[in-house]
Amino acid sequence: MSGAALRAFVTVLGMQCVALAAEGAPEVTGIPAADAVEVRIGAVLASNSSQEFDARLASMHRQFNTLFPYTSYRLVKEEHQRVPWGGKVGFDIPGGRYVMVIPREFKNDRVYMKVMVIEGSRPIIDTSVSLRDHATFLVGGPRQHEGVLILSIGADTLH
Amino acid sequence: MFERAMTCREALNLLPLFFDGELDANQMRAVALHSTRCGGCEDELRRMERLQEAISAQVIGAVDEVDFAVLWRGIDERLGTSHVSWWTRARAWWSEGERGWVIKVPAFAAAAAVALLGFLLWTRTAPTTQPDASQVASVDNAASIESLDSDVDAVTVLNDAETRTTVIWVSDDTPAGGDAP
Repeated sequence: MSGAALRAFVTVLGMQCVALAAEGAPEVTGIPAADAVEVRIGAVLASNSSQEFDARLASMHRQFNTLFPYTSYRLVKEEHQRVPWGGKVGFDIPGGRYVMVIPREFKNDRVYMKVMVIEGSRPIIDTSVSLRDHATFLVGGPRQHEGVLILSIGADTLH
Repeated sequence: MFERAMTCREALNLLPLFFDGELDANQMRAVALHSTRCGGCEDELRRMERLQEAISAQVIGAVDEVDFAVLWRGIDERLGTSHVSWWTRARAWWSEGERGWVIKVPAFAAAAAVALLGFLLWTRTAPTTQPDASQVASVDNAASIESLDSDVDAVTVLNDAETRTTVIWVSDDTPAGGDAP
């Protein structure tokens, strides 16, 4: 291949690379890498025993009323723990449950983490999820005597 | 599903891998369960965490003390490279060659493509620089589930568009109609 032909080839290759990079470019968020993450766990007892709505759950009022068929929501436990990426945090939940969270990475403004909910000797949930920074997802059930325990699990990155 | 409880010896062998997140899901569960019930193994795990924190603090402290500006100047001096501006190099490259059109045509095409691409990206991203106030106010709680495993009878994943919230619902008894929300 002559020098000119090689240069032409490189030029065309460069064009293709630019096009490919534009097509497959990850979302540019401008967010600096997070040093650690704070994991939030809330345990909410939902039931139809009363009309009480715990004031501490005000930020999730709409979610609970839209998603679940219960009239009473009471926050029975709330805990925050700071953890480095790849580390693990454990939370004891009323009713004999144990929640283990392992935040894996922060990418494209999303927190990737592994979550295990263990009840007695059996894992009732073992999942890998990603959610937006500062977001919260819910794990509900199984039904208990007094109602249903709903866990809110969220993560806030620390820069 | 666990056939038998993990022993301390097995757990201790797997603890470093557990700590690094290199075990598969079953082993991860088994070690986690064991460490929640075994004080010795839990202590060992805590010891590893403290060790990692101590090492991290030392490494970060050492890196912070390095002045990379001075370091790079030293490397640059040892390399002894002569600096040629990119403009000079570009002109030399442009004027070389026996058949100028073979270079110039693709180069013009590349420049045009880059300009067009830049314009398209600018027009596409421009509106997102000023998000709607309601978008800022509301939190997107939708989670993306990569994998989900459970030992209970039924697990339902609900992604509610209205509240943009994800719910993983566990049902043990699965009655008619289920007890899912």
